Amino acid sequence: MIWQLDLSVLTLIVICAFATIMVKDLLSAAIIFGAYSFLMCLLWTEMGAVDVAFTEASVGAGVSTVLFIAAVYQTSRTVKPRKSGRGLAKIFALLATLLTGLVLLIAEADFPGFADLSSPASLHVSPYYITQTLHDTNVPNMVTSVLADYRGYDTMLETVVIFTAGLAVIAILRRYKKDQPFTPPEPYILSKGYPDTIIRFVARQLVPFIQLFALYVVAHGHHSPGGGFQGGVILGASFILLAISYDFKTVLGIMNEKWNVLLGNLGVLIYAGIGFLCLGLGANFLDYSILSKVLPATDRVMARSHGMLGIEIGVAIAVMAIVISIYLNVVSRGKYDKGL
Amino acid sequence: MTAVVILLTLAGLIFFSATTIGILRFPDFYSRMHAAGKGDTLSSLFMLLALVLYNFHEINLGNLLVAMKILLIVVFIFMASPTATHAITDAGYESGVKPWTKKPEEESP
Repeated sequence: MIWQLDLSVLTLIVICAFATIMVKDLLSAAIIFGAYSFLMCLLWTEMGAVDVAFTEASVGAGVSTVLFIAAVYQTSRTVKPRKSGRGLAKIFALLATLLTGLVLLIAEADFPGFADLSSPASLHVSPYYITQTLHDTNVPNMVTSVLADYRGYDTMLETVVIFTAGLAVIAILRRYKKDQPFTPPEPYILSKGYPDTIIRFVARQLVPFIQLFALYVVAHGHHSPGGGFQGGVILGASFILLAISYDFKTVLGIMNEKWNVLLGNLGVLIYAGIGFLCLGLGANFLDYSILSKVLPATDRVMARSHGMLGIEIGVAIAVMAIVISIYLNVVSRGKYDKGL
Repeated sequence: MTAVVILLTLAGLIFFSATTIGILRFPDFYSRMHAAGKGDTLSSLFMLLALVLYNFHEINLGNLLVAMKILLIVVFIFMASPTATHAITDAGYESGVKPWTKKPEEESP
């Protein structure tokens, strides 16, 4: 913790947060929000939470900015000026915000300091995870082992939440009728759609490396920051890059709707299936050490490591499919005919 | 070694500040993009090279791997950053942003 760096990053974060609310142009707001996410990522790196920072960089600054821009592209770029006469509501909102802020400030006084060894959080359970992870699971990155093993239920249901979000987007946006043709909203001057050779060439060269890196992030999550969520998002982002630099149909040719939904299902199924496999072999749900009975040449410690790898792969597949599916639905208004 | 690191970092900082001044001071969209694209890429190269050298206290496999990864980042920045600048400039051209000219009668933003 270098407090000068912290202070400057926090100041910039507050400025970005205000700018996101104040700016009338929604496209600018989306981009400033991306900058906000990236600053949060810096802050987390500085606090030593590299896994969280990685997730923030890939999800917050990367994919969600693209999703916001896709949503702006399909709706409206400017905020409609609100009618006046909402004074009471505004005063009430201000009072509520001030009250919450006051309560938070009061609570902040009782907080333990950063990395305080005598705080309750670092007295009871976390010393066990910090000291015993390597012995228990043979995984050096304790974030991965806590995420995928010690609290495997929680992560499984997080994957289910992402899957449900994808299903909700499909259920709300997807339209099968081809009644009205696609008309882009007014304030846009769309590109004439001629193929830009430079962008296409570079994107074509980059996509394999991005996907390779994503696989590395998934597979190397045991030893370095990363894991299923980050790797899956990066895999999805590579397809989004293809969709932006080429066109919509190219991605649909590689990953059509059926495959997307199928892979999203498959990922969650892999996760839950490993859990049920453990259950079937006579241990608790998601207790990977029992997998040493079916995996060749593994003891109970290595089996936990391999089990984590299995569920990380499942998470990556599910997240990739859901990210692509959300992007395709948002950008084409659920018609899958034409998009950004 | 330390002197080289300091030198490279300083060079990177100089180019970064030149980029910032260019973005703020240049008259129109295209020249601003020109400043952003070139200066950013070059100063990233200097900064990352400084990081590579700073990392080499001693030569072993771990340090070499980290250096390789940082150099790979340099390669990707050199591919992606000019392309992104090109894409933004191209989009600006297609949506009809007028370039700045030196004629006094034309009121250009």
